[in-house]
Amino acid sequence: MPQGPLPNDRDQRHAALGAIALAGFALILLGLLRLQVVEHEELARLADQNRIRLDILRAPRGVIRDRSGRLLADSQPSFDIVFRPLPAESLTRARSVIAPEWLTRVAALIEDDTAGVRRRVREANRSGQTAVLRRAAPYGVMAAVEEYRSDLPGIDVLVSPIRHYPAGTMMAQLLGYAGQINESELADRPDRGYRSGDLIGKTGLERRYEDVLRGVDGAEFVVVNAMGKRVATLSEGPPRLPVPGHGLTLTIDVDIQMALEAAMSGIERGAAVVLDPRDGGVLAMVSKPAFDPNEFAVGISSARWKEINRDGAYPLLNRAIQSAYPPGSTFKMVTIMAGLRDDLIDGETRFPVGCSGGYFFGGRRFGCWLRTGHGSVNTVGALQHSCDVYFYQLGLKLGLDRIESTARAFSLGEKTGIDLPAETRGLVPDRAWYDKRYKRGTWPRGILLNLSIGQGELLTSPLQLATMTAIIANGGTPIRPHVVREVEGVPSFRISKPIESGVQTAQSNWDVVHEAMRLVVDAGTARAARVAGVAVAGKTGTAQNPHGDDHALFVAYAPADAPRIALAVVAENSGHGGSVAAPVAGHVLRRVLLGDSTRVAPARPAPPRTLRSDSLGVIGD
Amino acid sequence: MSPVPGRPITVDWPLALATFGLVVIGLLTVYSATSVPGAHEGLWIKQLVWFGLALVAAVVVASIHYRVYDSLSWPLYGISLVLLVLVFLIGVERMGAKRWIEIGPLQFQPSEIAKIATCFVLARFFDHAKLDLTRMRWWLPPLILTMVPFVLVAKEPDLGTASSFPAMLIAMYFWAGMPAGQLLLGLSPILNMGLFFVTGTLWWFVGLFALIVAVFRPRMSTLLVMLALNIGVGASMPYLWNHLHDYQKRRIETFINPEGDPSGAGYQVIQSKIAIGSGGLAGKGFLKGTQKGLAFLPMRHTDFIYSVVGEEMGLLGAAFVLLLYVTVILSGYRLATVARDGFASLVAVGVTTALCFHVVVNMLMTIGWAPVTGVPLPFLSYGGTALIVNCMQIGLLQNVALRRREY
Repeated sequence: MPQGPLPNDRDQRHAALGAIALAGFALILLGLLRLQVVEHEELARLADQNRIRLDILRAPRGVIRDRSGRLLADSQPSFDIVFRPLPAESLTRARSVIAPEWLTRVAALIEDDTAGVRRRVREANRSGQTAVLRRAAPYGVMAAVEEYRSDLPGIDVLVSPIRHYPAGTMMAQLLGYAGQINESELADRPDRGYRSGDLIGKTGLERRYEDVLRGVDGAEFVVVNAMGKRVATLSEGPPRLPVPGHGLTLTIDVDIQMALEAAMSGIERGAAVVLDPRDGGVLAMVSKPAFDPNEFAVGISSARWKEINRDGAYPLLNRAIQSAYPPGSTFKMVTIMAGLRDDLIDGETRFPVGCSGGYFFGGRRFGCWLRTGHGSVNTVGALQHSCDVYFYQLGLKLGLDRIESTARAFSLGEKTGIDLPAETRGLVPDRAWYDKRYKRGTWPRGILLNLSIGQGELLTSPLQLATMTAIIANGGTPIRPHVVREVEGVPSFRISKPIESGVQTAQSNWDVVHEAMRLVVDAGTARAARVAGVAVAGKTGTAQNPHGDDHALFVAYAPADAPRIALAVVAENSGHGGSVAAPVAGHVLRRVLLGDSTRVAPARPAPPRTLRSDSLGVIGD
Repeated sequence: MSPVPGRPITVDWPLALATFGLVVIGLLTVYSATSVPGAHEGLWIKQLVWFGLALVAAVVVASIHYRVYDSLSWPLYGISLVLLVLVFLIGVERMGAKRWIEIGPLQFQPSEIAKIATCFVLARFFDHAKLDLTRMRWWLPPLILTMVPFVLVAKEPDLGTASSFPAMLIAMYFWAGMPAGQLLLGLSPILNMGLFFVTGTLWWFVGLFALIVAVFRPRMSTLLVMLALNIGVGASMPYLWNHLHDYQKRRIETFINPEGDPSGAGYQVIQSKIAIGSGGLAGKGFLKGTQKGLAFLPMRHTDFIYSVVGEEMGLLGAAFVLLLYVTVILSGYRLATVARDGFASLVAVGVTTALCFHVVVNMLMTIGWAPVTGVPLPFLSYGGTALIVNCMQIGLLQNVALRRREY
């Protein structure tokens, strides 16, 4: 025996190790016996035919519904003409398949050129993967192929789901679209179980909630005959049934959405967002121009893509969350609140210099929009009439830090965290930003004048403006704008917490802002947004646009005493907020507040019903 | 086959011949499997070149006295861990797994090197003069030494190679003298977890635990610690399970039973079974297999090469290959009993167990009785690193043989 601590019962241990190894090998021998003797005949038959095929059972993608259950996105069957590489017991059969006669017939049937068909068939034979020859074939093509299929080995008609958006262009950017996964998307997700031909969310909610909406595909083995036609399922592997994707219920109210779409019909480019200021739910969101996601779901040609995007229209851009505009005078609530919350002003404060249509600072004249001047105005009057001269002086008193921190508290300059992809942060410049822009510490105080009236470098998305308005409406409570209210089958789904902490200040300060915003609508620049019998609070804005005509802006909330709705409207290159954007809000507010007001927050979702895209035309005001 | 007194000690001939036979069969099968027109034609020549290199490596490994490995085992272990970490940083990714490191034109798998280094370091530890595996405090260091490379390899992910580490450890615990009951007891939390995932209940385990305790009567302190561990595992599993997301559960299920996903591994297993089964008793004959020529048998020259053997050579050929493996494994274990000292003996057990584990897991996979984890079949599957490392393992066994006890 060797030295060392090894045990004395080595012989037994050696026997045990050998026995365990032999047991393993005996098990394998048993397996071989079973396959090669017991099941030999059956398996030899299968090998002869070698006709085992794997069929994917596609999982239906989750449907999307509005808050009362109206259908916004579902899936419909589409017919793909495919070539399945034959289970060729010989390669000769595979070669005969690419015979010229076969090619010509197939190409004629599916209305394609022979070269393209040949290329895809070759590729399929090489890789062993099914190739799609014609996607979403029209009914006529499908029927013709089905008729001659028995003469055309390898050709098959597959039903695959295609995304369908019953509302057409409505909410196009918000919903986004799901289409065929492309090569690079496949390459980016090697471990996620995607196969070529799968649907994947490309933009909007479809993209953001891809993992939830997408189900898990099932699969089953089938025995096919020499023509590739299925004759039986295989008992060896039981089918794995597909797990459908989860459905989404949105905070969107289709009634409000339709009202907003109708109100925006005259605006060529722009966006509007309607929020519930109590919880941050998005009730409606419009971005113009829009596109038809149904067209994209099938796939579009590059020529059509160019046509859609001509003149920089970019309809796929969700201007409500992805475009940033100078807020203009809609920012003045922030400026005032910055002064109020640090007790630098109150509702009655007047500045030494009255408004004579302009203000001199640093050797330069800063104009007021009203050339004739407002005279001496107090805080409430300054906001009501949007007197720039008042704000210039307030801005100088506040300094950059106060303006910047208050803007951020109102969720400007940072993503709101809405559950949609590619949201913009906008821009609220701080010291570091100006230090970078100018030489450190040398930036002029004149920027304060521009910032205080919402011009200069400030940039905000329509969603940020709506969020700001909602925070004003609810008295400073932070909100998290969100579009998805419930995920079907996922009770643990929670809406995320707000990103900013909100604005904490005395109620009397809010009263000043609230009163002024009411006066704006009742007797100020936004009389177009009045609603009979309901108090509306709002603020117009006109954003200077260095590239063209000014953008018109309007923000509002209502009812003023117990707000249920907060909104922001931006119309690009349309001039003044009061004359273009405020009427849009007026349309929507009248519809919501005077129409069926219970729709804003229904107690329970109504049973689902399909929404027809042509029903848009019914709405008008 | 112990050496006759007076005769010079040579290599272990049954081991050498069986290995050579396996390599030759491997070359022929790779030739056959890749003989259909396609991307893999001519791979057998490459494999032949690899075998030349592997032979040189085996001779070098066998000639250096194993005491050198003994004294270098800690640095070797350290280097192999560094390499495993490097895989994550600079590794080459193929098919979703980072397993390779590239140096110029050469690619190698640090996990294979770690397997041998871990075997050395474990052998050195178990060769300790005061070793007393009836005591729990002696259990932990080898466990940690094994778990570190295990976790690193499993994360690559390469579960097949990773699981040969614990297999090696268990055999070495046993060979170093751990009482069988203690070993089973020590494994019980893992059995517990495994049975829970497979059957969904914990009741199996209660009986098993009671049986082990009743038969082997462990020390009270050991019993209490293991009981606590088991209760801990048992109590936390259902809780953990219920707090997993659906997709995480599906991942674990696919992990335990990849055939449940017929679109992936299940497809290969069914095709493999058809290929083997259709071979029957005598097989279809060399180069006459019909399944390999099609896309029906993917990985036919790598992980699923045994199904080509089964198809073309039938039960007779497949059983002959099995016999050669049995010769290799039993020779390895026999060398452990005639080794001159503890280190050599333990290395022989570790190396042999790792080989045996790979062979059995791969073959069970091809006949559809084990999950598809991507383990190549030693000596037969196409692949350079694996062939070289497997031949080096044989070199180690011959190293022990060349310096075995004289009578």
